Amino acid sequence: MAPHRQSDADPGASSTVLLLLSRISLRHARIAPRQTALLVVLLALGVAVFVSIRLANKAAVAGFSRFTETLTGQSDYTVLSPAGPLDASVLPEMRAALGDRPVHLIPVIEASASRPAEPGESERFGRPAYTLLGVDLISVANLARPQDRGYFEGRMDSRGGSEPPRDDGPWSALQGKPRVWLSRDYATKLPEQIDLIVDERIVTVDVAGAIPESPDSPKAPPTLMVLDLAALQSLLNRGARVDRVEILIEAGAGADQVRAETRRILSDLGRDGGRWTVVEPETQRSTTETMTRAFRLNLTILSLIALLVGLYLIFQALDGAVVRRRTEIAILRSLGVTESMLRRAWLAESAVLGLLGGGLGLLLGWAGAQFAVEAVGRTVNALYHATSANHAPLSGEDIGLGLTLGLVASLIAGWVPARTAARTPPAQVMQRSAAASQGTFSRRTQLLAGLGLLGVGVLAAQLPAYPWPGGGRFPIAGYMAALAWILGAGLVWGHTLPLVSRLARRLGRRSFTALLSLSHLRRPSGRHRLAVAALLCAIAMTAGMAILVASFEHTVRGWVERSLQADLYLASAGAQSASAQNRISSAATAALSSHPAVERAMALVVFPIVLEGLPTSLNATDLSQLRVVRRMPWVVAPRSDAVFDRATNHDRVLISESFSERFRRQPGDSLTLPTPSGPKTVTVEGIFADYGNERGSVLADREHVRQWFRTEAVTNLSLFLKPGEDVARVRAELLRNYPGLTVFSNATLRTEILRIFRQTFGITYALEVIGVAVAVGGLGLTLISVLLDRRDELTTLRALGWSHREIARSTAFEGASLSLCAALGGLLLSLALGWLLIYVINKQSFGWTLGFIVPRGQLAGLALAIIATGTGVSYWAGRWGADLPADREE
Amino acid sequence: MNTAANPSNRRPRRHGHLRWWRHGLAACVFGLVAGTAKPEATADGFALPQPGHTFEFPRDHGAHPEFKLEWWYVTGHLYDESKQRFGFQATFFRQTSPDRTTELHLAHMALLDVAAGRFLHQERLNRDGWDAFAQRATLDVRNGPWSLRLVDEPREVMELSGGVRSDARLRLTLTPRKPLVVFGEKGVSRKGDDPTAASYYLTFSRLQVTGELTLGAEAPRRVSGEAWMDHEISSSQLSANQVGWDWVSIQLRDEPRELMLYRLRRTDGSEDPASTLQWVSPESHPQRSPHVWEVLSTWKSPATGAVYPARIRLTTKDPQTGVDRMFIIEPLRSDQELTGDLAGIAYWEGACRVLDANQREIGSAYMELTGYARALKL
Repeated sequence: MAPHRQSDADPGASSTVLLLLSRISLRHARIAPRQTALLVVLLALGVAVFVSIRLANKAAVAGFSRFTETLTGQSDYTVLSPAGPLDASVLPEMRAALGDRPVHLIPVIEASASRPAEPGESERFGRPAYTLLGVDLISVANLARPQDRGYFEGRMDSRGGSEPPRDDGPWSALQGKPRVWLSRDYATKLPEQIDLIVDERIVTVDVAGAIPESPDSPKAPPTLMVLDLAALQSLLNRGARVDRVEILIEAGAGADQVRAETRRILSDLGRDGGRWTVVEPETQRSTTETMTRAFRLNLTILSLIALLVGLYLIFQALDGAVVRRRTEIAILRSLGVTESMLRRAWLAESAVLGLLGGGLGLLLGWAGAQFAVEAVGRTVNALYHATSANHAPLSGEDIGLGLTLGLVASLIAGWVPARTAARTPPAQVMQRSAAASQGTFSRRTQLLAGLGLLGVGVLAAQLPAYPWPGGGRFPIAGYMAALAWILGAGLVWGHTLPLVSRLARRLGRRSFTALLSLSHLRRPSGRHRLAVAALLCAIAMTAGMAILVASFEHTVRGWVERSLQADLYLASAGAQSASAQNRISSAATAALSSHPAVERAMALVVFPIVLEGLPTSLNATDLSQLRVVRRMPWVVAPRSDAVFDRATNHDRVLISESFSERFRRQPGDSLTLPTPSGPKTVTVEGIFADYGNERGSVLADREHVRQWFRTEAVTNLSLFLKPGEDVARVRAELLRNYPGLTVFSNATLRTEILRIFRQTFGITYALEVIGVAVAVGGLGLTLISVLLDRRDELTTLRALGWSHREIARSTAFEGASLSLCAALGGLLLSLALGWLLIYVINKQSFGWTLGFIVPRGQLAGLALAIIATGTGVSYWAGRWGADLPADREE
Repeated sequence: MNTAANPSNRRPRRHGHLRWWRHGLAACVFGLVAGTAKPEATADGFALPQPGHTFEFPRDHGAHPEFKLEWWYVTGHLYDESKQRFGFQATFFRQTSPDRTTELHLAHMALLDVAAGRFLHQERLNRDGWDAFAQRATLDVRNGPWSLRLVDEPREVMELSGGVRSDARLRLTLTPRKPLVVFGEKGVSRKGDDPTAASYYLTFSRLQVTGELTLGAEAPRRVSGEAWMDHEISSSQLSANQVGWDWVSIQLRDEPRELMLYRLRRTDGSEDPASTLQWVSPESHPQRSPHVWEVLSTWKSPATGAVYPARIRLTTKDPQTGVDRMFIIEPLRSDQELTGDLAGIAYWEGACRVLDANQREIGSAYMELTGYARALKL
């Protein structure tokens, strides 16, 4: 009986859809609640991973920008020097140029510090780092916010109360002894005094109270410490220099005009970046975002794997349901339910699943983010800049995104099954399991599409990266290639199942259970192929990342061995973040260099600079010493020795590989470096490998840089001891004499670098594991669905005397074969993905050249673990299926 | 150079808007060396005004950091080319730290836009340094974007730049139309019975003002008018039983004479005998005269709840004619209250018109009323 078409506009149509949904879909959910629940949970996991990474990323970026805002609110502009601090003499110059324009000029100095390690506490890098902000606490009162007078209106206690106001008022802020204000979240009860590591010294500072807050200003992060500008300058021995000037236009009807004039006047005075740059807060935030963008984007993309795998699962769950409910569908069609109503009912069911999964995913994602934020924050801290991220709040936007993601994923996956359901001719009713499980598309179409996608991937891998506005490049073609390969391989690889079954047959010839399960794989259903595709996707991505990490680690290990040749490495223990600017004073440097046990000392000074609008760093060391260093990790060695000779190297520098990639410079090219003594034009002489950061660095001779930057202090010091000196003894002595220094021996530093390296990949592994878990769970769902299709067969087997265990074993064998097939394909694909990650995506994002290493043991372990888990899950599905009555609907 | 010795004159400090500021003064007074008839310094080492001091200008227009306190106080009335009326106040305070190592600078600015019915005001506080200072050699004081400078030394022409946030900007040239008045006996203006309670008190009682006023995003408008400027230097000037004071400066329209009155109000509500009214003659000689102060109406501040006198009838004897004169002092707007956003102490300081008995406008005035929001314990 051919159904007659009804108009979609039929007013009864939507109520029919609702009726179908409640009568059929809900009934199925009631009959098989665990299956429905598992599906929802797997989808939720996919959404959760994405949401938690998104939240953690947001928190890590937000954590950066909030330090100054806590003090001054949102600035209109920030005046930044392209290199080194600004001399305080620029302040009256700016004021004079601005005339009577109502503008607050707030000079800020910012330093980082850590607290001395408690006895027994680890001396490893990555202890809590504090940001010390120095601002004129009296002038801040002019911002006229309620909290601004808090610095001299009385000592606030940590519970928010206030002691009676001090009589000396603002004079207290001018008192000679430095005092520090701490965040209310620093501790439940603020200490009277606090020890801080400044340069190589430990200083004790009085705690003045809690940083004043008001409900409408950002909360002071627990790692923020505030001092009066003059107090911090004297604490740091900085002299009259400031790191930046925050510009705030006073409110009022003329503010827009004043803002525009201020920008123009200060930019002109700063010679458009020659002396300083005038940046807007959005630009500054986007610079910090740019710095971590590649890192965060890679994480986001990884976090989508689980969702991609989830997509396969929904598709196959709904597809399975279409097949199994064909009787119902046929009856409904016979009763006059139209195609469009059926399609909408199916889509509605997908949508409900999607929303449930999305909602649950949001909750899980939010919970996961609270852990992820620490891991992401730690990495951002170690690689990029100090961040105060400690919690990841869920915004309305995130909730919308999470639900949309679940909904869209389920609708995409449900679209084809819905169409199939709607178009199923009632005549197929009686053929429940016959041609049904061949899937929606023909094998040939799938194979061709798969091969096509693989080809597209090969082409995409050849394309260059997309250059981001504001610096950096996004390897979008690389990612597209990876996606094409994963989808393509998923489509193609299912077709090797008959081959696998033929091979396995030889092994399990004597076992009936094995033969039975293999007979199913000889003519694999669409769902079998989908399960293989999902598993393959998860395995390939995980193994591909394992290859990348192993290659990276191998390369870094080699680089560390070549780079680290001194016996002891010294740095201020205050430096606990990649952006820390803590130094060792010149006096200490001189004393350490002339220590009787030291044969030779090599100092390194790091200055963050802004070059061509992008943040990078200018490093300085005694280049003549590099000539004596054997095995320097050259990418391109200098052609002559001129760069090593102080007489000739005033305009010659070396650059790191990431610098070369990022700024497109090769040996022979010239560079104009910003310095406090004006721009210096230098020539690139060679390129060295440096895996320390992706911003790149320029290495110049220390003597010249000392003159340019007028500072003697150094960032770190490498000591080569005289032959026969006991490294441990010297280290112990230095630690005793300089409690504010971290002193690493060569071996400890190597271990430490590799530890930080692995730590940064910690979250990556967590994401992979979730992807694999979703895929293995999906395998269980597939087998359940397959068993449901085979209810008649199971009844027959039981009638023939098969035990539950035999049926379970047969299913386990089937699952094992599927896992094996997926593992083989996944490993094969992982080699391609590994190549793509190392030579295309990494190179384009970070500019690092890595060797290609296949961690065979790790990959074999992964494959075995997946096959074992897959077999276990399948056995469990088989046990469940063995009890299925023939008339069980689902 | 200007040297002057004038009849005894008492004028209360007008600056005490900050608790800490006043407290510094209290400590200073109570720490005086007892029994010294004419001390040269306070107990904590600050200089005190000395009778017969010879003022040297422009040096004495500049800062005197050896004294604890100092202020430059400009109030005035402006009209634009369409005769729209404005009032303005610009005050720069300087205080030396108790240990005499550094200084703080406080400043207030206010603008009354009569036509728009708007009163704008702002305070600034800064430590001595690049963004706030008072030069010693001449008049050159700055607090953030606000400044007051002597730009033409022989003619004693000054330039005042400032405004109120981004709502109003003033750039004014102040030219003396009369010589400087030096109040006080032998140049020392006594503030109370205490031998240290005294100041050097220098006033330009009539300054011609020209310049530019920019309101919000509007185009700058040319303005002109008249202003009054005080420069007072002291290390202590307190009375323990005062709760506040009322101060008025009057510039008569049709004759080159001015009046200045201050009344010190005591805790029991009575007027302190140190209160005084002074006429300034056309030659800038101050002449003391008796006065009667009557409050005709009051205004209650919605912001602070303080009830201030609004219309005042002031009766005094004209020293030139010996005839009684009556002035009605009427605020151009009642809400000219500086609410003390930065320092937390509110006072009223505003532009007024001066009427005679026939309600004819015969001059303009500025009036300051303190201690109404909260009793000032000095």
